Amino acid sequence: MSQTTSASNTETPFKISVLDSQLDLLRKKLDLVTFPDELEDVEWRYGVPLADMKRLVARWKDGFDWRAEEKKLNEELPQFTRDIEVMEHGRLNIHYVHKRSTLETAIPLLFVHGWPSSITDVQKILPLLVQTSENGDFPSFHVVAFSLPGYGFSEAPKKSGFAAKHYAEIGNKLMLALGYDEYVTQAGDWGRLITYTMAQIYGGKHLKAWHTNMPGGTPPNFTSHPILYVQSLFEPFTAAGKAERERRIKFDREGRGYFAQQASQPQTLGYSLSDSPVGLLAWIYEKLITWTDAYPWTDDEVLTWVSMYYFSRAGPAASLRIYYEVTHSPDGPTGSAKNPPRIPMGASYFPKEPGNGPKSWSRAVGNLVFESEHDSGGHFAAHEKPDELVDDLRNMFGRKKWGKGKHGPAFGVVSGSNGFQPEST
Amino acid sequence: MSSTEVPFKISVSDDQLDLLRKKLDLVTFPDELENAGWRYGAPLSDIKRLVARWKDGYEWRAEEAKLNEELPQFTRDIEVKGHGTLNIHYVHKKSEVENAIPLLFVHGWPGSFIEVRKILPLLVQASPNGKFPSFHVVAFSLPGYGFSEAPRKPGFAIEQHAEVGHKLMLALGYNEYVTQGGDWGSAITRKIALKYGGKYSKAWHTNMASGVRPTFTSHPISYLQYLVRPFTAEDKAGYERTMWFQQEGRGYFMEQSTQPQTLGYSLADSPVGLLAWIYEKLVNWTDGYPWTDDEVLTWISIYQFSRAGPAANTRIYFEYMHSKDAAPGALAAGMPTIPMGVSRFPKELAVLPKSWMSHTYNNIVFVGEHASGGHFAAHEKPELLVGDLRKMFGKKGPVYGVVTGKTGYVRSKRGAERAKL
Repeated sequence: MSQTTSASNTETPFKISVLDSQLDLLRKKLDLVTFPDELEDVEWRYGVPLADMKRLVARWKDGFDWRAEEKKLNEELPQFTRDIEVMEHGRLNIHYVHKRSTLETAIPLLFVHGWPSSITDVQKILPLLVQTSENGDFPSFHVVAFSLPGYGFSEAPKKSGFAAKHYAEIGNKLMLALGYDEYVTQAGDWGRLITYTMAQIYGGKHLKAWHTNMPGGTPPNFTSHPILYVQSLFEPFTAAGKAERERRIKFDREGRGYFAQQASQPQTLGYSLSDSPVGLLAWIYEKLITWTDAYPWTDDEVLTWVSMYYFSRAGPAASLRIYYEVTHSPDGPTGSAKNPPRIPMGASYFPKEPGNGPKSWSRAVGNLVFESEHDSGGHFAAHEKPDELVDDLRNMFGRKKWGKGKHGPAFGVVSGSNGFQPEST
Repeated sequence: MSSTEVPFKISVSDDQLDLLRKKLDLVTFPDELENAGWRYGAPLSDIKRLVARWKDGYEWRAEEAKLNEELPQFTRDIEVKGHGTLNIHYVHKKSEVENAIPLLFVHGWPGSFIEVRKILPLLVQASPNGKFPSFHVVAFSLPGYGFSEAPRKPGFAIEQHAEVGHKLMLALGYNEYVTQGGDWGSAITRKIALKYGGKYSKAWHTNMASGVRPTFTSHPISYLQYLVRPFTAEDKAGYERTMWFQQEGRGYFMEQSTQPQTLGYSLADSPVGLLAWIYEKLVNWTDGYPWTDDEVLTWISIYQFSRAGPAANTRIYFEYMHSKDAAPGALAAGMPTIPMGVSRFPKELAVLPKSWMSHTYNNIVFVGEHASGGHFAAHEKPELLVGDLRKMFGKKGPVYGVVTGKTGYVRSKRGAERAKL
């Protein structure tokens, strides 16, 4: 086990333990809630419907049991904190989930969430990933999932300019500090940019393969990807291409207000989200519904997700700044296309993912060795479609069965930890 | 349906003041990056200072009384096609000059009827020696703002706001009138000029008329000129200002025009959230205007205590973006023909070369250019704005006597003759 660089081992076990005073303040604010008016018969057209909000707030005031949810999270997600030194930004105390498989040679996997997710996003896939197969049918993983700085119980950056490469550095240093000199990643939303950047910087040496449920991408150009370029010309004329294009145009037109605000004046918005739990609830809930594929959120599920923002260590405003910092950084939200990652890449396509473009764009992102198409599911794949997502990872990193067929395209990328029992020769 | 006028005085209930106090007592502030300045939005120290003042020191009752004294207010029902009857709140002050020019002032966001406060006494003022014209002034609260009722159904866009303004003037007995507007008031008075211009609206003035960039196909000569003529220093500064707004300043527009209800929960529930949301514009959109804390808080209070609540006002963005008026080329396709006046201020949000205004505006008879001032011209530069209106409508101006029989001056024989021309 290699012990690398940065600070001395400052790992401390962590349990979420919101103060009584925080719960009390929340209750006081909810008791004073003032709802807006609403136009007649508009449903979701203008944003979150008033009826949904009233119902959620009523549950939040009476019925939703944060202490029970907190307990469940602590039980299901073994958590820790440790200090990580980041270039140009000093030391940040990082909060993370770490669960090892019982199989020593499981594949170390780093899961990176985005907005408005948190470690709750890894809750469902965690037991499936660490699970071992008796017959060696599928690989097993050691799982690490950190809270991005400014999210969950990680410290927030104190200075301007904390952008993709800084988040990437944290991810890499955390894995190294945990003794995983080689590892793979799974991510969507901001996690996609962060792991893309990790693949560019640490790919080959430490990061050996990366998988995303939001491959995204930008239009391929003729010189770098002639075949994909031609494909991109024909895509809008296929049925699937037409549907994708309509969805993308609609999202650009109707669904990017939050992005524009968070990428330009996050502090201004931050006052509302910090001061009003109801305002925060609406802001996040809108995405939980519009970005998923008819996922049957329970009210308690929604309130738990929002609580991770409401009770976050840095407060809800800090979580918005990644939009500003990345947008104002030279490489922007899609990352620099100049130095595309060469390590094996896997993509899972879910039809209601708003952050994707045409397939040709995704295929030009990196060294795509694995693709999986699904007929349902949206942005929060790990939460909406845990079995499907884990199946994809098992196939990507899997082994041929009973000597037949082929290994998964990323089988054995991590030296000495391919996710299976070492075979006796 | 009769539209009966009822005198109105702002009178926020004790309950509302009490609830505000309770919410302020529980305020939770966000963190902030080191040395953030204004880069990420309204600075924490500003907001903390304003909240401290709001909790202790700011006297709403005193401000309320002052507003009621300065601004004679009324309400009356106005019927809007497809939307039923809305109860509209407005300021109405007549000049002592009987033949003063009836002027409708139309505010925008995050403005309100109180934007007329400083220009009102100047507009109605009678000139001792007939040096400048006087105006009868009407300033209504847009539906969903101030103390006007909010629309209940979708689709209440610029055309509907224009209808309210126009019908209000007619109801007040002003069959012919002129208009002044900025922000949404500019779009609304443009629509008034388009729909009711000639017969009713006789001339219009705006402090926000940026025009559009010429393309080779839309305006070939202008486009070629723009290629070869070097930009002046003012053009360059205007361009930078315009770019800043496009890149850093449109988040609110994007959210309000797509998901206003989602935003509305925050603005309705958190007075501090509402304060920050609006204060950021009061500072970013003005030209170094020395806002006092009380001035800011009064401005915010109009939103906090508005009849429809703080969410309703954001919907105009949604309605506009989903209407035909927002379609590409809509501005150039339908241009008003009545005489138009423009005042240009360097810190308006889109400051493009003067000549480009003619791409989307017709019959510009007056242009006033100023070396300072921003978006809220009536509040920042009342003398300059009124000065422009006096020049435009005055005896030597391009539209003198445009309203039949109402030159804005005390009627003399000679004046009566000239008015007939």
